[in-house]
Amino acid sequence: MSIKGGYFKQHLAVDLTRGTAERLPLADAFLEQYVGGRGFGAKLVWDNLRKHDFKVDPLGAENLMVIAPGPLTGVYLPSSGKNSFAAISPATGLYGDSSIGGGFGVELRQAGLDCLSVTGKAPELSVLVIDDSAARIVPMPELRGKTSLEAEGLIRERLDVPGAHIATIGPAGENLVRFACVNADWGRNAGRTGFGAIMGAKNLKAIIVAGHRDLPVHDIGALVEEANKAYAYLKEHKYFKLWQQQGLMNVIEYANDKGILPTYNFKDSVFTHHDRINGETMMESYKIGDNACFGCAMCCGNICLVKNGKYAGTVVEGPEYESCAMLGSNVGVDDFAAVLSANQLCDELGLDTISAGNLVGAVIEGYEKGIISLADLNGHEITWGDDDAILNLLRMIGHREGIGDVIADGARRIIEAWPEMDKIILQVKGLEQSAYDSRAGSSMALAYATSDIGAHHTRAWTIAREMEEGQGWSDEERVKTVIYHQTLRPLFDMLGVCRLPWIELGLNERHYEYFYKHVTGNELTLEQLLALSNDIYDLTRLINVRLGVRRRDDSLPYKVHASPPLTGPNAGKVVDKDAFQGLLSRYYRSRGWDEEGRPPAGIERKFED
Amino acid sequence: MSKKLTVIPEQCSDCRICELVCAIKHFGVNNPKKAAIRVVNTYPHPVMRMPVVCSQCRVPACAQVCPVGALTWVEGIVRLDKETCISCFKCVDACPFGAIYAHDDCDYPIKCDMCGGDPECVKNCPTNALRLIPEYALGEAKRLGNVLSYTQMREIEFYEKGEKKVIRYAEIGKEEL
Repeated sequence: MSIKGGYFKQHLAVDLTRGTAERLPLADAFLEQYVGGRGFGAKLVWDNLRKHDFKVDPLGAENLMVIAPGPLTGVYLPSSGKNSFAAISPATGLYGDSSIGGGFGVELRQAGLDCLSVTGKAPELSVLVIDDSAARIVPMPELRGKTSLEAEGLIRERLDVPGAHIATIGPAGENLVRFACVNADWGRNAGRTGFGAIMGAKNLKAIIVAGHRDLPVHDIGALVEEANKAYAYLKEHKYFKLWQQQGLMNVIEYANDKGILPTYNFKDSVFTHHDRINGETMMESYKIGDNACFGCAMCCGNICLVKNGKYAGTVVEGPEYESCAMLGSNVGVDDFAAVLSANQLCDELGLDTISAGNLVGAVIEGYEKGIISLADLNGHEITWGDDDAILNLLRMIGHREGIGDVIADGARRIIEAWPEMDKIILQVKGLEQSAYDSRAGSSMALAYATSDIGAHHTRAWTIAREMEEGQGWSDEERVKTVIYHQTLRPLFDMLGVCRLPWIELGLNERHYEYFYKHVTGNELTLEQLLALSNDIYDLTRLINVRLGVRRRDDSLPYKVHASPPLTGPNAGKVVDKDAFQGLLSRYYRSRGWDEEGRPPAGIERKFED
Repeated sequence: MSKKLTVIPEQCSDCRICELVCAIKHFGVNNPKKAAIRVVNTYPHPVMRMPVVCSQCRVPACAQVCPVGALTWVEGIVRLDKETCISCFKCVDACPFGAIYAHDDCDYPIKCDMCGGDPECVKNCPTNALRLIPEYALGEAKRLGNVLSYTQMREIEFYEKGEKKVIRYAEIGKEEL
C-alpha cells in the first residue's frame, strides 16, 4: 500500500484568533487511513476534542471546523464535486458533518489543499481568502447583516478574486441560529448541523478560494477509461433524462405514492395537493435551467423562476425534494411559487431548509393544539398553508426576533420552553428529522436513531428498499441493510463524490474501487475501503459516546411510536416501542458495540495518530 | 464543408465536463483551468451559463494583433503555430469573446483547435449544449425560436387513435386585417 497520487498532502490550518494560516504536511499513513472528506473531518475533530479534554463549546472559539474534499473531488468521473464540513455541531452538541456540492471543493483542491481547518475567532467580521500559494484573513465588517447572495456579490466587487468560488453565511449564521447553513455557488448548501452558526461564532462571513493547480492523478489514462464506462452507463439509464429534467424533485411523487411524504408536520404522509408542488409542475411553469455540480452529467439541480403572481421575480437554485417537502407539504403549502419563495428566503438568510421546515411545521401544530399561544407568537397567527405567516416566521427565525429567537435555538430549546412540544417535534439528538417518514419502515427508524449526526437520511436511506422489497424483512435483514448503507454512503463523503449516481441510477459501487486506485495508486479493494469507512463510523460514535451519548439518545420521536399517519398507504402504522428496542440491541451487537451502544474498550488506539 | 462548434447556452448545466475533457485531451492533466473552453456563469440577474470557446473567425482579431503571424485561419480553424509564437499573449486580450486562455504553467496561449475536427467537449457534453453543425445551419435554432416568439400561435387539440395531439400554427398579422 502506498499513496502515489490523489493528494497534495497539504492541510491549511487557520487560526482566526491569532490571525495565522499555516500549510502543514499530511503523512501518508494519515491519508491511507482516513481517505479524505468526512474521514479527515472526524479524525481532526476527535484530535481537537482530546486536546480540549472533551470540553468544546460548539459556538466557542475552540471548536475546530474542518472543510475537506476527498481524493476524487474534481477528478474526471461522475459527480465529483463534493466536499465535507465537519465540527462539533451547535444543533446537537455532538459530532456533525454536512456535505456540499457545486465547485467549492474542487477549487480548494486546485489551490493545492486536501484539507482546511479553521479554529479561533476573528476580532471582527472577516473573510478568508485562499489562493494557490497563500491565505489571508481580510476584515470586512461592512458585510454584517448581508444575505448569503448579497455578500457573495459584494466580495466579488471589492476583492480581486477572479474565478473564485465563495462560501458564505447569511444573517442566520451571524445570529448563531443553530441550524444555519453555509451557502456556496449561489444555492448549494452545507445544510445540516449548523455550520453557518459555527462560522458566525468565529466571525467568519465567507471563505473565498481560487486555485489553478493540476489535480494529482496517478494513472490518468486508466481513470479516463473507467470514467467513460461509468458516464456511458449513466447516459443510457432509462431514468437519466428524468434526472436531468427534474432532479430530486421527481421524489415528491414517489414519496406521496408510497406514503412517506411529510405532511402537516408528519400528521400525515400523503398530501392532497402533491401535484401542485411536484416535479411536473416545476417543469411546466417554473424551471428555467439545469444546474450541475462539478463533473456531473445528471445535473439534478434546478433553477426556477416565478414569472407572475405575488412572488414574481423569485429566482432560486432549487428546489430539491427535501426543501420542497419540508417547506411545502410539511407546512401545508400547495403553491409552488410560495415554496420557491421560502426556499429563496432560506438561502438568503442562510437557514437549513430541512430544520426550518420541520420546526415551522411543529410550531403550526403546537399553536393548533394550544401549546403555543398567540402571545407566544407575538400576535402573528399561523396556520397550515398560510404562506405569508410562514415566510414571516422564517424571517423572524433568521433575525432572532420574538418567538424566532427561541426557535433559532432548535428543537431542544423549543421543548425546554414548551415541554409538550416533545410530542410534536420530530428530532433525534436535537437534529430535526428530514423528509422521509420512518413509520412506514422500521429500518428507516433505526437509521434515524443511529445516525451519528441526528435524524438525517444521508447515512442510511433504507426507506425505499424497505418499501420495494423489504415488507417481509426480518430484523436481521433490517440491521444488515442499515449498517451496509451506513458504511457505503459515508464512503462517498470520504472520497469526495456524490452518491446519487449509485443510489438513484444504480451505478455499480465497484467503479469507485477503480477510481480510487487510478487516482491514488493505492491498491485497496472496495471491501477494504468499506472497512475504513466503518472505522470512521466507530470513530464518530466514539466521539458521541465520549460526549455522553448512550442508548437513551438513540431514541425515536414520540410520533414515530405513538401517532400514525392519518391517511394513505401507511395509515395507522407506527414503529412498535419494544420491537424497536430489540432492533436496536441487535444493531449494537452487529456493530460490536455494547448494550449502551459503546464501541469496545481500547478502540481509541486505532485513532491515536 | 466546414463544421462549426456552436453553443446553446440555455441547455448548459455548468457541469464543466467540457473543460475537463479538453484539458485531459490537450495536456494530459486533470485541470479545468487549462481548458480552451470555459463555462461563464452569471446569477441571478440574469441566470446565464455560457460556454465560451473560439468561434474560429474568418477574420480573426487574434491573428490581426499577432506580431509574428503565429495565428492563421486554415480550413475553418484558426491555428496556433507554437514554433512561431513568442508567448506575448496579445491574442488573449484581442479576442472579442475572451475565448483564448492563459495559465501560469503553459508557455503558449490556450486556444481551441477543434481536436482535429472531432471535439472532445461536444462528444462529452451531457446536455447537448455543445454541437458541431455545418456552417450553413448556423442560426437555425435561433431562427426557429424567434419565429415562434413573434408570431401569434394558435393551437388545435385533436385526437388520433385515442391519443391527444396538438397542432400549432401561426396567424400572422390577423389582428390588423
